[in-house]
Amino acid sequence: MKQRIKTVAKMSVLLTTAMLAMPAMAFAAEDGDAKLGIELLFPPLGEFIPMLIGFIILWIILAKLAWPHFIGMIDKRAEKIKDSLEKAEFAKQEAERLLEEYKVEISGAKKEAADIIANAKQQAEHVKAEITASAQTEAESIISKARRAIETEKKTAIAELQASAADMTIMVTKKVIGTDLSTAEHKSIIERYIAEAGSFNEN
Amino acid sequence: MKTNSANNRAKATVYAEVLLAAARVKNNVFAVANEFDLLTKTVRGSIELRKTLVDKTVPATAKRAIITEIFAGYASELLETFIVMVDRGDLAVLPRANELYTTLAEKALGAAFVDVTTVVPLDEALREQIISKYSAELGCGVMLREHVDSDLIGGIILSTHGKRIDASVSSQLERARHVLSKTF
Repeated sequence: MKQRIKTVAKMSVLLTTAMLAMPAMAFAAEDGDAKLGIELLFPPLGEFIPMLIGFIILWIILAKLAWPHFIGMIDKRAEKIKDSLEKAEFAKQEAERLLEEYKVEISGAKKEAADIIANAKQQAEHVKAEITASAQTEAESIISKARRAIETEKKTAIAELQASAADMTIMVTKKVIGTDLSTAEHKSIIERYIAEAGSFNEN
Repeated sequence: MKTNSANNRAKATVYAEVLLAAARVKNNVFAVANEFDLLTKTVRGSIELRKTLVDKTVPATAKRAIITEIFAGYASELLETFIVMVDRGDLAVLPRANELYTTLAEKALGAAFVDVTTVVPLDEALREQIISKYSAELGCGVMLREHVDSDLIGGIILSTHGKRIDASVSSQLERARHVLSKTF
């Protein structure tokens, strides 16, 4: 505040000096009186005093009426500028803080995204491995079943063939024995079988 | 109170004992045993005959006529006993009565009945061979109940008291067929 008052006072002095100088120069031109040396710089005393009184009156009026209002405006303006600067500083700090937060969040999001992708890849690999293993097991089971079925069919066919061959052999043998043996030969067989037959207690 | 099974056993015992008494009077115990066995097998083997004999709509006289027709030549005491059995509706006890009669007859005769099945009828030499061999084994006299069956092809089958000796060609061929079917 003091600084501002000093500034205003300096300005007033300069203004007063200018006012005092200007009428003197005018009067010098109008009077046509030749003045020499230092006289050219200072007005005559009769003119200086009214001017000084006018100046003082003007200064007092300005000091009472205009300066407080002017200084208040300046103070308000300074306060506003200060507030603005503070707000700007706060906003800057807030922006920097937010920027830092965003950077951290973006970094976290990037890390999370990378983790998600890694997990997804891992799960996909796991699922792929499971599907492959399942398909392989199923394929092996199908092949095994097919092999067993083929083996069973093969055994059945062989058994049927063996049975057919045996049946044919026995049928021929029965026909030969049944038709070719005489009663005497039958009795001979019976006699031999009785001799060879075991006891009832063995059965 | 007797159960149905015990009741049937009692009835079978009565029929067997009555038949044995009648057969002993005629000194025909063994022949009746053979014929009783054949009669039982014939009835068991014919569903139509069994149905007819148990059919209550068929008159008793008709049943008698059927029995005497089918089993003509069988001992009269056997046929009379069987007719009574049919008239009283006791056909179900026939197999049991046959078994009991066989047991009672064996005791009465002091001999074991041996069923002998061959393709051709036995001659005396074969009968003697069988009787001498199995009398020694069974420790009692042996009476042969002879059967002829061409399905045997050859050889002999002997059986008594639920025991069986199968020395038939058909059985040997069957065993051979079984072995061949496994080893071909």
